[in-house]
Amino acid sequence: MTWKAIGQSVAGTSHIAAAKGCEDAVRYEVFSHPHGYDVLACCISDGAGSATHAAIASAFTVTKAMEYIQHFIAHGEELTEAHIYALAEDIYHGLAEEAAANELPISEYSCTIAACILTPDRSAFMQIGDGAIVRDDGNDGYNIVWWPQTGEYHNTTYFITDNSSLGDLHVMVTDTPVNEIALFTDGLQLLALNMEASSVHQPFFKDLFRYLRQADNSDKIAVLDHKLAEYLDSPRINERTDDDKTLFMATRLPA
Amino acid sequence: MDEYISFEQIPFGSDNFADNPEPRCPCVLLLDTSGSMGGMPIMQLNEGVRTFRQELLADPIATKRVEVAVVTFGPVTIETDFHTVPNFHPRELETTGDTPMGEAIATGIELITKRKKEYKESGIAYYKPWIILITDGAPTDEWAAAAQMVQKGEANKSFAFFAIGVEDANMDILKQISVRAPLKLKGLMFREFFIWLSASMKMVSAKEPGNAINLLPPSGWSEL
Repeated sequence: MTWKAIGQSVAGTSHIAAAKGCEDAVRYEVFSHPHGYDVLACCISDGAGSATHAAIASAFTVTKAMEYIQHFIAHGEELTEAHIYALAEDIYHGLAEEAAANELPISEYSCTIAACILTPDRSAFMQIGDGAIVRDDGNDGYNIVWWPQTGEYHNTTYFITDNSSLGDLHVMVTDTPVNEIALFTDGLQLLALNMEASSVHQPFFKDLFRYLRQADNSDKIAVLDHKLAEYLDSPRINERTDDDKTLFMATRLPA
Repeated sequence: MDEYISFEQIPFGSDNFADNPEPRCPCVLLLDTSGSMGGMPIMQLNEGVRTFRQELLADPIATKRVEVAVVTFGPVTIETDFHTVPNFHPRELETTGDTPMGEAIATGIELITKRKKEYKESGIAYYKPWIILITDGAPTDEWAAAAQMVQKGEANKSFAFFAIGVEDANMDILKQISVRAPLKLKGLMFREFFIWLSASMKMVSAKEPGNAINLLPPSGWSEL
């Protein structure tokens, strides 16, 4: 075990009131690369409230992402920027096929995406839309990879389904390894980011990672994962946001 | 085992949230208070505005997010600039003068432009603003320029403009002003209209990604 990870998607109170269920999704896994190292991959997605198949789209997106990542790792390929673009295209075409099979416009499958793939010496990130990826790479606390992409209005953003050329896709591949990482959807944005200063709210992540670092066996990680779902559905969170919310966190074990 | 139990009891979570202001959902009411609105119509309109406030106050998220401004005409007067609902205290409106609708629309759009600038300067997120025009007559001033401003604003997605005609309102002119089909109020059902408006505002102010404005069906208060 080289990574400790927890992640949950929880329905927002407005979605429960509208009998809609959770339209966020999260998947993550630590893969063993044939060259003898571990790869942590995570993908989160937020289905658009205006799309009829939002929940299906976000679940499809995170599942497809994990399948793609598993596939190229199983073939012993080293992570490159080309993999990230191919991954995004794969998901776009998959959603387009789903929409066509159901004779629906692809906009009914609108969803955001944020993903990371972390090897011991290389880090890849991708994002379309709002939500954010926050990382600690030993460089002065938790840093945001990209500020959430929003339109003029609070409830407008960009989706992987917006155009086939994936013009809104952000990709970054660096040789800087990551110690700790968090991915979250826009339901947590106003709690985890300082909007006026355009910065990460450090205490929020410090508080949460502290416990994940303390968990030193898989039972304890399972306890934390359960507590994460409870926390995301607690009154202190629900008083501040009525949207679906997803939080994924991982910390690398000291070498 | 002891250690496991103590781990079960750790207070996982954080109460240390970023101190961001609530996103705002601005709404401008352009209310016709010309002479013809005298008597029952103005009484019912006042009652409707009070109901609007009460309905929004009953919703904890709308209470924090919706901001209301009121412009009356004529003459054109900014009754109240933008306030969140708890600080919005509508005065009893009285009727005077003619119907300078064109100037009222321009004033409403100007209030929104100014408010958006303030939001941006303070890092406050916001939703698409709404302008609600309520009239029982026809403009007594030049309104073609105002109609163009409404069309431009709708095309640029700067705001959503809704026109409500009361009694003998000139619906033909309202159609030329508003991109969205104007609606005719049934009788003097202002109260029902404002209950509908507050319910629609609550839907907008609750977080939903996507561009569409999801209005509730205008049932009960409009003539179809």
